[in-house]
Amino acid sequence: MGAFNKGKEMRKKFKINLKSKHLIVIMTIVALSMILLTLSSQSVAAPVRNAAGYVVVPFQNGINAVGKWLTAQADSLRDVKELAQENAQLKAKVDELTMQNNLLLQSQTELDRLEKLYELSSEYSQYNMVGAEVISKDPGNWYSTFVINKGTRDGLAVDMNVLADGGLVGIITEVGDNWATVRSVIDDTSNVSAMVANTSDHCVVTGNLLKMNEGKIDFTQLTYEEGKVQEGDAIVTSNVSEKFQTGLLIGYISDMQLDSNNLTTSGTIIPSVDFRHLREVLIITDLKQSKEEQE
Amino acid sequence: MRRKITLALLILACFLLQCSVFCFFEIASVVPNILLILTISFGFMQGKKEGLLVGFFSGLLIDLFYGIGSVLGVYALIYMYLGFFSGFFCKVYFDEDVKVPMVMIAGSDLIYNTAVYLFLFLLRGKLNYFAYLRSVVLPELVYTVLVTIVLYRIFYRINKYLVKKEARGKMALWLRNY
Repeated sequence: MGAFNKGKEMRKKFKINLKSKHLIVIMTIVALSMILLTLSSQSVAAPVRNAAGYVVVPFQNGINAVGKWLTAQADSLRDVKELAQENAQLKAKVDELTMQNNLLLQSQTELDRLEKLYELSSEYSQYNMVGAEVISKDPGNWYSTFVINKGTRDGLAVDMNVLADGGLVGIITEVGDNWATVRSVIDDTSNVSAMVANTSDHCVVTGNLLKMNEGKIDFTQLTYEEGKVQEGDAIVTSNVSEKFQTGLLIGYISDMQLDSNNLTTSGTIIPSVDFRHLREVLIITDLKQSKEEQE
Repeated sequence: MRRKITLALLILACFLLQCSVFCFFEIASVVPNILLILTISFGFMQGKKEGLLVGFFSGLLIDLFYGIGSVLGVYALIYMYLGFFSGFFCKVYFDEDVKVPMVMIAGSDLIYNTAVYLFLFLLRGKLNYFAYLRSVVLPELVYTVLVTIVLYRIFYRINKYLVKKEARGKMALWLRNY
């Protein structure tokens, strides 16, 4: 009993000795060495990240399931209420749409664009793809990254391309056993080498935090022949991109103006993906690099 | 021990709230910084040591999933120092009054976001601080302070419960020994 008390007293003394200013110095050294260690080799932290995934991801999956269920309930409730109202509205709309339909049929350019889109989406089918759900979002407001509920167990790896709604969402930056972090193309640090779909003129697409609320992203360094590229043209990932597969739809040019150097053009793009309501995504499990190596 | 487990669960719960739940309630596409509220509240209620430890582990959790360039420890460092400095105000601490922590969390949020801006945006040549202040920093600050009003009271109750249990435990030991 005496020895036990002594031990307890010693521990108490030790606790009192370790003042907050000493603790902050120790913890600062710990944090700094962690930064240096992970800067030099990123694989060091992989087991820790994996372990953390096993603790956190099940909770996130649960929350996600509850959230989905709640929105489904809200939707069905709303449906019942608005059914009668909607019916009347729809009847009125039938006439309107019949007219619009005629107009659409006449619009040849629109048809062309749709055809092009169809070609794009049929191109996607040559890749192997895996579906996943978005389970959490970046905790701050500076980045646009999110976590999905699939990882190395489902064959995912860093640098795989992520799609949704037939357009490019982003790229995997980190991966664990049962989760992966995706950086979206609207992220301020994202840079994608791209081109105009029908003329193959290259440009660079970058996210812009300040334009995020307008739902737009920037493009720069576009050079093209006079009059060949115009607003509304589709921008796809370029064949010279190192990490992105060729021909994934990013969005459509919203506005463009000549740069002060009179050589290049920059402007904004409206992404084809609705980033606000992203719930399910598709991941292309072919890597661009490895595919080329195999060939 | 009870405190350690409670704090670990609180950090996990706040992380889940911030990343998975609050993205359903985005206002002006902004999420409140709940882990910061937790860090500052406990630094404020329990002192520098607890503030810096809660901050360190909160930041580490963010680093694990959303680390900047896959580097571990950057957020841990920022949150740790914010928690540590909030501990200096531990003596001003009174009751359930939410005004002082609200001011402190507003200040910390401003410092935190300015630090993020300095290191990650200014260094990439994005000079327009005031545009970012208006579109990112201030909305987050307002939302975070509003959430503080509710959350601080909850953290206060939890802390009070823990302190009460600890006092009872100490007294029992004291009775046993002498």
